[in-house]
Amino acid sequence: MSAQSILFYNNFVAILTVVALVAAVGLVVYRLVKGPDAATLLGNSAIWMAWIVALVATVGSLIYSEVIHFVPCRLCWFQRIAMYPLAVILLVGAIRREAVVKYYALPLALIGLAVSIYHNLVQFYPRLEGGSCDPLNPCSARSIEMFGFMDLPFMAGAGFIVIAVLLTFYTKAKE
Amino acid sequence: MTQTKKPKPGASNAKSKSTLWWIVGGVVGLGLIVALAASIATEPEVDAAIGFGTPTVEGDTLPVYAAGSEDVALGLTAPSVTGADWNGTPVTIEPDGTPKIVIFLAHWCPHCQAEVPVLQEWVDAGNLPDDVELISVATSTDRLRPNWPPQDWLEEEGWTAPVIMDDEIGTVAGNYGMSGTPFYVVLDGESKNLGRLSGQIGTDGFNALVALAQSGG
Repeated sequence: MSAQSILFYNNFVAILTVVALVAAVGLVVYRLVKGPDAATLLGNSAIWMAWIVALVATVGSLIYSEVIHFVPCRLCWFQRIAMYPLAVILLVGAIRREAVVKYYALPLALIGLAVSIYHNLVQFYPRLEGGSCDPLNPCSARSIEMFGFMDLPFMAGAGFIVIAVLLTFYTKAKE
Repeated sequence: MTQTKKPKPGASNAKSKSTLWWIVGGVVGLGLIVALAASIATEPEVDAAIGFGTPTVEGDTLPVYAAGSEDVALGLTAPSVTGADWNGTPVTIEPDGTPKIVIFLAHWCPHCQAEVPVLQEWVDAGNLPDDVELISVATSTDRLRPNWPPQDWLEEEGWTAPVIMDDEIGTVAGNYGMSGTPFYVVLDGESKNLGRLSGQIGTDGFNALVALAQSGG
């Protein structure tokens, strides 16, 4: 495993994160401009998009831990607990075309987002979690640093935001 | 007679196609990620030794320091360490009559990153007396983490204290009972442990450690 390959993967995931965030911001702006009618923009595709985001986030995090061998810290695990079920729940909801799935998925996404925000704060203000680093796996230490600020909890937070936004665009009732 | 709306011809088909495209997109994206992971896993190792040293340790290991409670290793003799910095310059920790403050640093630790410039500025201001030696140990090195390798970081900070590069399993840190970084150990001239602590301590803490080292406990 070379450092260059890991950097390539980090760049790939970081670019995906930026693209997804920009798309989410675009959707929110569209919603603000168009009003409730905006919900019809994506139709049934919104749930599939949300599932893809959850799937990529799940597989991406597993690659970091199982292939690159980053050990997830305590806060990383809480985010995983929120993200991994989304990859299953959203798929089932998408296949069954049940609009009600967003009421199961949205709380998970928002809880995950709250943990991500706190984890980012801990990384920017390490004293929130004490004055020293656990030599094995402190949540305050960055695993990677893309574009000078982006670490894994930022990527996870972006994933939760995108999923939450897409779920608000999903209005397809069960047929 | 009730009339029912007939779906537009091809509408259902279009929906199915749309769904299919998202499934295909998901699978393709997943495949791309897995392919990337596979390429990462098969790349050869390079530069594995950068950031590490081959220190040797002689003497009894100090018990692990438990933050927030009294140090159970007070008065115990710390093991002697023979190591070198990244240029190969020998650095030792041994009972040579000079009291020492040993600081263990991890390049990826944000608390160490914050503490090093503060401590260096304190040293540059002439606050470290001649009769106390400051020695650092670069430990817990991990090339996958940011701010690697430690020598680049310490050079950028203008770090002037001698540095012992710990090995990959953290032999020096383990023998000194390190439980968190930054980690301080104060030794008298005979290498007896006068006190250990972990975490950022700032200039007031540095002054207190110097006073402890000079007092001999």
